[in-house]
Amino acid sequence: MNRSLVILLGALALGAAIFAGSYFASQRATVMCCARPADDLSWLRDEFHLSDGDMARIRELHEGYLPKCAEMCAKIAAKKGELASVLGNGTNVTAAAQAKLEEIASLRAQCQAQMLQHFIAVSQVMPPEAGRRYLAEMKRLTLGANEPMEQSMSDDTGHEHHH
Amino acid sequence: MSPGLPPRFQQNVWRRIEDTEAPVQPTSWLDALAALILRPRFAAAATAGLLLAGVFAGTLEGRQTARHDAQMNYLAAVAPHAAR
Repeated sequence: MNRSLVILLGALALGAAIFAGSYFASQRATVMCCARPADDLSWLRDEFHLSDGDMARIRELHEGYLPKCAEMCAKIAAKKGELASVLGNGTNVTAAAQAKLEEIASLRAQCQAQMLQHFIAVSQVMPPEAGRRYLAEMKRLTLGANEPMEQSMSDDTGHEHHH
Repeated sequence: MSPGLPPRFQQNVWRRIEDTEAPVQPTSWLDALAALILRPRFAAAATAGLLLAGVFAGTLEGRQTARHDAQMNYLAAVAPHAAR
């Protein structure tokens, strides 16, 4: 093979290795350095530049909210268990199963309302602009979580109607 | 009596030696590129540039990943999947 070509290919391989090595090493180091998994609230402090005073009040709200949230989750989980036993191995959605589905939906709605109330309370502790941004972000992340699936399903239905 | 050396004799001798030892001019763009790569200054500069670019891009990506992980930690605490 041409000597110049070998030099060029070798240099390219070496360059790629140098870039990739430094990229992955620094990425890993940054993730390890910045990650604070012990604290659930670290994201709030960093993202919204909150003071210690704001964080103390938010932490208080957060710790007050968590048991309520856990209680709602336990109720939903119990209701899902009941639904599973009502459904059993059957192939029909019975009236009892329908009732359980409605109860789960109602519990989820209560849980979401409680969650939104918490987000609003937290946003009011923050400086106004940060609070608005926080609330918008939390709505997007929680209430909008099912939107892509619903959107794709309505798109599919739309296609069917066109046919 | 011996004849004297012509003017600038020594410079001319050194110039001829340098011309003889001068590297052969590259004949194609590939040879020119290979010759450039083998220059120590170019190699050092390229290595430093690639290292810096890698560190910069990796740090940016790492910060994004850490931010996303922290956001997901918070979200998992306040909005468990069952509630969404």
